[in-house]
Amino acid sequence: MNKFRLLKENISCLRINIKLPFLIFYLFLFLFSLSACVSHLKEAKYYYTQGQRFSRLYQTEDAIASYKSALREAELEVKKNPSAQGYMLKGMAELNLELWEQAEKSFLNAFSYGFEKGEEWAQQLSLFGLASSLEALGLGDTALKIYFYLLNKSKLRAVTVSAAQKYTDGILKRALQKKAEEKQKLLVAAFKVIEKLTNKDLSCGFYHYLQSQIYSHLSDYQKSFEEALMAKELGLPTLEIFRDNDLQIVFCYQQLKEKLSVEKWDKFLYQYKKWVKRWGWKNPVTPGWKKEAKHAPIN
Amino acid sequence: MGKSSLEKVVEKGISFLSKIFPLKTYLYFPLLYASFIWAIKRVKEWKEEIFSLKVWLDPDRIEMKPDEFILNFFETNPALNKTYEAEIKKKDLVSLRKNFFRLYPIIGLEDPFLSALFYEELKSGDFEKIVKEFEERVSQAEKDIEAFNGKLKLLEGLKSFANEMISLNLDLFSQDKVQDIFAGLIKKSLMNNDE
Repeated sequence: MNKFRLLKENISCLRINIKLPFLIFYLFLFLFSLSACVSHLKEAKYYYTQGQRFSRLYQTEDAIASYKSALREAELEVKKNPSAQGYMLKGMAELNLELWEQAEKSFLNAFSYGFEKGEEWAQQLSLFGLASSLEALGLGDTALKIYFYLLNKSKLRAVTVSAAQKYTDGILKRALQKKAEEKQKLLVAAFKVIEKLTNKDLSCGFYHYLQSQIYSHLSDYQKSFEEALMAKELGLPTLEIFRDNDLQIVFCYQQLKEKLSVEKWDKFLYQYKKWVKRWGWKNPVTPGWKKEAKHAPIN
Repeated sequence: MGKSSLEKVVEKGISFLSKIFPLKTYLYFPLLYASFIWAIKRVKEWKEEIFSLKVWLDPDRIEMKPDEFILNFFETNPALNKTYEAEIKKKDLVSLRKNFFRLYPIIGLEDPFLSALFYEELKSGDFEKIVKEFEERVSQAEKDIEAFNGKLKLLEGLKSFANEMISLNLDLFSQDKVQDIFAGLIKKSLMNNDE
């Protein structure tokens, strides 16, 4: 009897011993999959926040890399566990990577999962896409109206900035084809629009860059210089815009040299030299990145 | 005399590209030089930089520069001033604007890929040739790079080339000097291969 009981206990012990590793394995698997689900969303949020931080510092390459990681994590998240939050994050990452069509779909998906603003955001992206298509088809005036609407109404920063850029480009292009008086009117109107945006978001270097470009068309080189300086100090989104802005500073310097009175010029030059030193330029007309010997300007 | 470390790295870069683009030797210098410059700037988005080739300003933005800016660009650069003396004197903005569109990304913004692609013309001051051949040569380069299927392999190769270059402290030289060193070494290496 005792033998039988012992045998029974041994067998049940063996069963427990066999079951236990399986149980632990399944428990680990469950915990791992649970943590993986949580971590995709968490990681997506982390990378997106990083991207925003880099964007604010105008470290474009780092920002793009972070948004791409955020997008990858958000994609994994919505695949496993579709939700309003997951789709919204996915859409925001796509928006910052200028993947307009994908972002529009993601916001619509977010809306279908209960994110109320998703539909409105998707509509704004749809409008932006429509304006780009109209522009490509040669219907520039209609496109310009849509960009104007978006830069006034959109609450998505990426859309507002892109619309401001397209709008300014369009107006400047038209201004070049007009006669003096009409040109002036167009430029002043465009300036007011961008100034309004700058007042709303004073730390956006790109808006200052656009203002500087408009002032340049208005031949107000002092103000163009000041705006370009602000843009340089606040940071610009791409290397080519950064370089173009530097060349705008040099251009203003050269124009002011010719146009200012001796007294005003001396005052300006004193300040300008301080900036040149701060930026580490080779001389007043050669930014650090520019070749000196071959392409040095005459004056 | 033995080869310098720099020569060895450049030769390695050429040997790598010759397997990918055996008949497109004209791409070696722009690709190697641009990779190096982008690596110095610690650009992480290699793919976008190399394959989009959209490193110059949006054409719209160049088109809408004011006349004074364009005139100033030609006037203040001695070599351009000489070539376009007649147009500057006449203030022929139609012609200058057309040339500006092609020359500003190379001479103004100093795009590394484009300035290497037109290195010979820039050295000899043949700006008219750049303007004449700009569209054709840039679109040909785009097509040739785009046609290559193993993009990841190309990216990795260029990345490791650029990192080796940086390890030689070449980034301490000016970009102008580095471009000349690259051009000389690549030319020499290609000539040796031909022999």
